[in-house]
Amino acid sequence: MVLVDDGAMILRLGGGLEFLCQLDVSDASQRQLEVSRSFADLRSRVKAESLVFSLTDSALFIWPNKSFQASLDDVDESTACGELLQSEDDDGGGKKKKKDKKSPVVNLRFMMEITEPTEPSAPCLYRENKKHHCIRMVLPMDCVVTVRSDETFGSSCKRLLRALSTQLSEMEAVTLRHMKDTDVPVPRPFHFSLPTSTELVTIVYPASVDDKGLESFRKELHNRFELPDDRPYFRRSNAFHFPDEPYKDGYLRNPHNHLNHPNIEGAKPYLVQGVYSYHHYMQDRMDDNGWGCAYRSLQTICSWFRQQGYMERTVPTHKEIQQALVDVGDKPAAFVGSRQWIGSIEVQAVLSHLLGVTSKILFVSQGSELPSQGRELANHFLTEGTPVMIGGGVLAHTILGVAWSETSGQIRFLILDPHYTGGEDLQTITDKGWCGWKGPEFWDQNAYYNLCLPQRPKAI
Amino acid sequence: MGRTYVADDTVQKYLSSLHTAGGVCITGLLIGQLSLQRDYVLLSTKTPHRDSDGPGEGHSSSGLLDDADLEWATEHAKQVSQMLPGGMSVLGVFLIVPPELSKEAPSTLRRLVFAIEKHISKGRLWDLTEEDITERVTLQICSKTKKALCRSFDIKDPKSSAKPADWKYQPVSSSSWPLVTCTVALDLQISLPLKSLDDICIKEGLRSWANRIKAAVCLINGKLVADESELVPGQVRDSVGLLWFCDNVYQLILSLEDMGSSAVTQCCRSFISIRGAVHCRAYLQPNKPRAKHAVEAIRKDLMNTVSCRVNMLMEDLLMNEFNDQGVMTGVQPLPHRVFVALPASDFRLCDYVFPDESIADVAERLHEMLDSRVTEESIDSSLEPTHGTHTHTHTHTLLTIHIWYNSCYLDKNLFFICLGLLLAAGIAFLAMAASLIFITRLQ
Repeated sequence: MVLVDDGAMILRLGGGLEFLCQLDVSDASQRQLEVSRSFADLRSRVKAESLVFSLTDSALFIWPNKSFQASLDDVDESTACGELLQSEDDDGGGKKKKKDKKSPVVNLRFMMEITEPTEPSAPCLYRENKKHHCIRMVLPMDCVVTVRSDETFGSSCKRLLRALSTQLSEMEAVTLRHMKDTDVPVPRPFHFSLPTSTELVTIVYPASVDDKGLESFRKELHNRFELPDDRPYFRRSNAFHFPDEPYKDGYLRNPHNHLNHPNIEGAKPYLVQGVYSYHHYMQDRMDDNGWGCAYRSLQTICSWFRQQGYMERTVPTHKEIQQALVDVGDKPAAFVGSRQWIGSIEVQAVLSHLLGVTSKILFVSQGSELPSQGRELANHFLTEGTPVMIGGGVLAHTILGVAWSETSGQIRFLILDPHYTGGEDLQTITDKGWCGWKGPEFWDQNAYYNLCLPQRPKAI
Repeated sequence: MGRTYVADDTVQKYLSSLHTAGGVCITGLLIGQLSLQRDYVLLSTKTPHRDSDGPGEGHSSSGLLDDADLEWATEHAKQVSQMLPGGMSVLGVFLIVPPELSKEAPSTLRRLVFAIEKHISKGRLWDLTEEDITERVTLQICSKTKKALCRSFDIKDPKSSAKPADWKYQPVSSSSWPLVTCTVALDLQISLPLKSLDDICIKEGLRSWANRIKAAVCLINGKLVADESELVPGQVRDSVGLLWFCDNVYQLILSLEDMGSSAVTQCCRSFISIRGAVHCRAYLQPNKPRAKHAVEAIRKDLMNTVSCRVNMLMEDLLMNEFNDQGVMTGVQPLPHRVFVALPASDFRLCDYVFPDESIADVAERLHEMLDSRVTEESIDSSLEPTHGTHTHTHTHTLLTIHIWYNSCYLDKNLFFICLGLLLAAGIAFLAMAASLIFITRLQ
């Protein structure tokens, strides 16, 4: 994963550009040319003096094409980018947002000034009465540059302008490639953080084509960036999630990120890779208090597969999980709608049936023996990186990682507890240990445990 | 608590100059500015004569106003409202009645003021909000005693009843009204789908452009200013020599926010593009105007001037089509905005001139609509760029329109280049001639 080093920040420029194109009704050969022309027109528009960048949540507006005119006196071409973060914070008495330590993001929007045109002409109305196909769409521009915090704002804006122009060209290529007669897909940019590069990579995908249809394109990308063929680096759901963007569904993501690692000598943390959502009792207006813990753990695991791009369908509900078990013949029809518990074997079956994911089952005859599985678990998180469901005694939990020392064998388990019945309050969840590091004494020392270790599918 | 209407002395002079003959009434408009504390009436004008087969001044002898009179009066009000810059509007109506008809006057006034408001707001690209003042004034004057009765109605509430209001005369000077101006570049693209009506598509196109204007950011003097902050006035002299209090530079910045997830492809029969620069102008209230008033005033004036001109042009073209001049294609210039100071006041009103009209036509129109004689010198047509003499015919797309516009500028530059070349050639010739003479002299 990309680790943006200290002193680096991301400048993100967004905005909509209206794309308008008229195609001849009869002559199909000129269509591609017309689309290219419209894109060329847009490329010249972003070079206009009337282009304005505005810093979100601030009073800063700048004209990057007009000798860097700015609306705030203390900002000019030579201002360091790091100083922009201060301008953004001036919300006027609001709560200070928790800024991500790793890579602060500065959001800019581009706009057009319509007053004081450089070459004013008399207002005219032009009308053409020819039958034609008219294509209209708003291009969702989204450019990203990684800058050092001491880099000048002027040079960063120049880079953003180049990125804007390049993105338009990429959008043109995607539109021409996927255009069918007069239907054009909306080209949408996605940003990906790759292990082979320190900067975010932006790829434009056509909105109308699903992941399956883009497989050959992704193969090309994997070749271009010299990436192995077994991980879906370029699937849409694996797009880089900017720290300041909220998730729309309301679930908490990776609450474990807000915890400190346990302080054990010689122990290294082996954690889940990627993003999962925290599923627990009482969510989605489903009262499963007392019986639904394994279901919730399974939901957390499914959320991981969805957010890493392996699963397109939504996280299954309790009923859907039960139905899946009936469908594979594991349970009788009456199971659906009941409040019966499930265990690791059922979790493995559902993952296989609904997601096509295979899982390894680990059996531990006594809870006291779990620490001896340290190597196995560490290995799992290193290679697969998926959350682990553990069931035993009368409880089910999710293991998100281990802190394990190869030499001393000391171990701590990062546990996500599905028995939590409160709201999505990160503070409570981390303070009260609903997501927290637990020692070997956490387990029932005499009970036997089954662990379900889902295996990552080898696919792009 | 009734509203207070402060009317300029010129209004008093004008109203007392109107005489009625026999049992006939005179209707007219009261024009000025609405503001929170009080409203200012700056101008008044009577409804012009209607050329009808009926008697005298076109009012029926039975009852005060028939439907035709009402329609005529509302049309006059609409025409006049188009001649007003931002910040000024038709505030209400006056009615001069003989004493024997004064009983029916209140209901007539009520009909008139509601009908006028309805007609003026048709086709307007913005709606009244809670911040806007919705009271309109009616002034009933007895032709014999000259006594004036002032009432106001809330035009937002169709069931509202007349509220008493104060009416007083006071000299009102334009120098205390801050003026805001800016020039805005237009760029509207309207597609007309196969089975659609021209005017509905154009209205839709104007509306979506207006929505973007309403959402636009406005910078004052290059900075983002808080809504409630007070404006600091400055002074500027214009081409006709008058001194205006004018706030400095206003900049409107647009962004496209709605990023829909699909591209729309339609089969269209026609395409309209509206481009060019328009001049916007608005007066603000004299008493501590705030930044938000200035921004609102500019926005409204911009929307009004564009919708007014486009509608005027479309009506004109429709008439041409009816007169068998064929369906319009190609480039049509929009009416040009000119500004004129009326002799009775310092405030500038505006008018729209088609390319085939002259300044004399403007003066004529002002006389008819506003009952004022203006000199041609007082009409300022320099605030907007004028049309060139180009009549290119294009059959293609946006890019070619771009080229057309660019070639307009080129020709202007070309003229200067030619002039420069001529001068240079002239000088060279003279130099050569001089040196020849010198040489021959030497020899």
